[in-house]
Amino acid sequence: MKSLSQLTDFYYKDLFPTLQELENRRQRVKFRVILSGMVLLIVDLMVFSFFRDNLDWLLFLNIAVGSFLYKFITHDYTQEFKERVIEPLIHFIDRDLRYVEDMHISESKFINSRLFTSTPDKIEGNDYIAGMIDGVKIELSDMHAQKRDKDSKGRSSWRTIFRGLFIITEFNKNFSGKTVVLPDSAQNSFGDLIGNWLQSHNINRDELIKMDDPEFEREFVVYGSDQIEARYILSHSLMKRLLSFKRKSGHKVYVSFVYNNVYIAIEYGKDLFEPSVFNTLLDYKVAMDYLQTLHLAVSIRQELNIDQKIWSRV
Amino acid sequence: MSISLVVVIILVIILVLMYNSLIYKKNQVENIFGSVDTVLKKRYNLIPNLVSSVQEYMKHEKSILENITQLRSKANRTDLSDEQKIELDAKVSSALRSIMIAVENYPNLKANENVMQLQRSLNEIEEQISAARRAYNQAVTDYNNAIEMFPTNLMANAMHYHSKKVFEIQDDQRKSPNVKELFEK
Repeated sequence: MKSLSQLTDFYYKDLFPTLQELENRRQRVKFRVILSGMVLLIVDLMVFSFFRDNLDWLLFLNIAVGSFLYKFITHDYTQEFKERVIEPLIHFIDRDLRYVEDMHISESKFINSRLFTSTPDKIEGNDYIAGMIDGVKIELSDMHAQKRDKDSKGRSSWRTIFRGLFIITEFNKNFSGKTVVLPDSAQNSFGDLIGNWLQSHNINRDELIKMDDPEFEREFVVYGSDQIEARYILSHSLMKRLLSFKRKSGHKVYVSFVYNNVYIAIEYGKDLFEPSVFNTLLDYKVAMDYLQTLHLAVSIRQELNIDQKIWSRV
Repeated sequence: MSISLVVVIILVIILVLMYNSLIYKKNQVENIFGSVDTVLKKRYNLIPNLVSSVQEYMKHEKSILENITQLRSKANRTDLSDEQKIELDAKVSSALRSIMIAVENYPNLKANENVMQLQRSLNEIEEQISAARRAYNQAVTDYNNAIEMFPTNLMANAMHYHSKKVFEIQDDQRKSPNVKELFEK
């Protein structure tokens, strides 16, 4: 497995000529984006008097046209960035990893993870990476799962169930049940007593499993179909590692163990591995954003120390 | 409906809920202890095989081997209370660790396919036992809390419920074993 510094070296050395080329291109794209923004603003001012009574509409129209224009103008640049930067980075990590830009993890796998109780009505995503790392299957992609909600007047709106990175890999112990580890919001917002009561009466989930690591318990809540199996999976060391993984990622982390697989969802709340036209790719912070995310995702097995095979799976 | 009737109904509901929750907690402890017992038995079943595989080589550690065989026959008795089972498990765990450390001193034994296989099985079972122990301890903690806290303690008293013992992590499990001490035994 390549280290983060190896990835950084590769980015700034091997990809440098490409980054420079892309930088020139970005400048032009940025100019076009700003220009179109200004044109849109001028048009707005011109039609303002007609929409004076319907400002909501004007705003809605602006967002729709604006995002369409942005996507249209940046499309080729985004494509090129993925082909010439993201894909080589992934192949540098492991030659045999497969990368498909416009694919995502399937809906059935998302549902099978049992991480989210509401069934999505729309799933979007991209940047699908799959293959074997150190002989073990792994797949991951960007995901945006949404649910259509209807209010009493029949108007529908989209609610995000999850947006971020979704990873599936094999677990190193055999098990037959389901164990789900979720961010602990009840205990954090209502305190231990009421939070605990609310958690143990969650009808959408299996039995509440109280873990014997107070720090882990503060950050996560565990539900499972089997009290013993959940503890067999969540050993003390795995709990410590999940906790430090969560802190390292800096985002909400959902983990489930279902039929020998582990599903990890990291809620970034945005589309990852997308180039911004307003920031240069040569900027260290921008670069680290891509590299760290990518490294965190593909090194998940090492991070959680589930790359060592346990005897029963030999 | 008079207020007193409402109060009586509410009181009855509270009593029923308290009673049911106590029963649930007691059953949960028994249930999980059943699973603990199953994995402990799995481990006991491996002991004769282990002893016969290593005794040829381990001439100097006869006492450890005899000790573990004795412990196993004790564990097979059917009249043991949960507390006794917990105590026996601690002794067996410590004896097994001593054997595994002693194995390290016999290169022939360490390389023996049969011993290696046994070691793997024991490691795996050890993980399962540890999980079962943790689940049991949590169930016992919930149960003990319920029978000691007000107001469930009043009902628990009336039902003659007593607090139960958890699996304690022995001190010799926390520190790394002293090999020299083992051989001087």
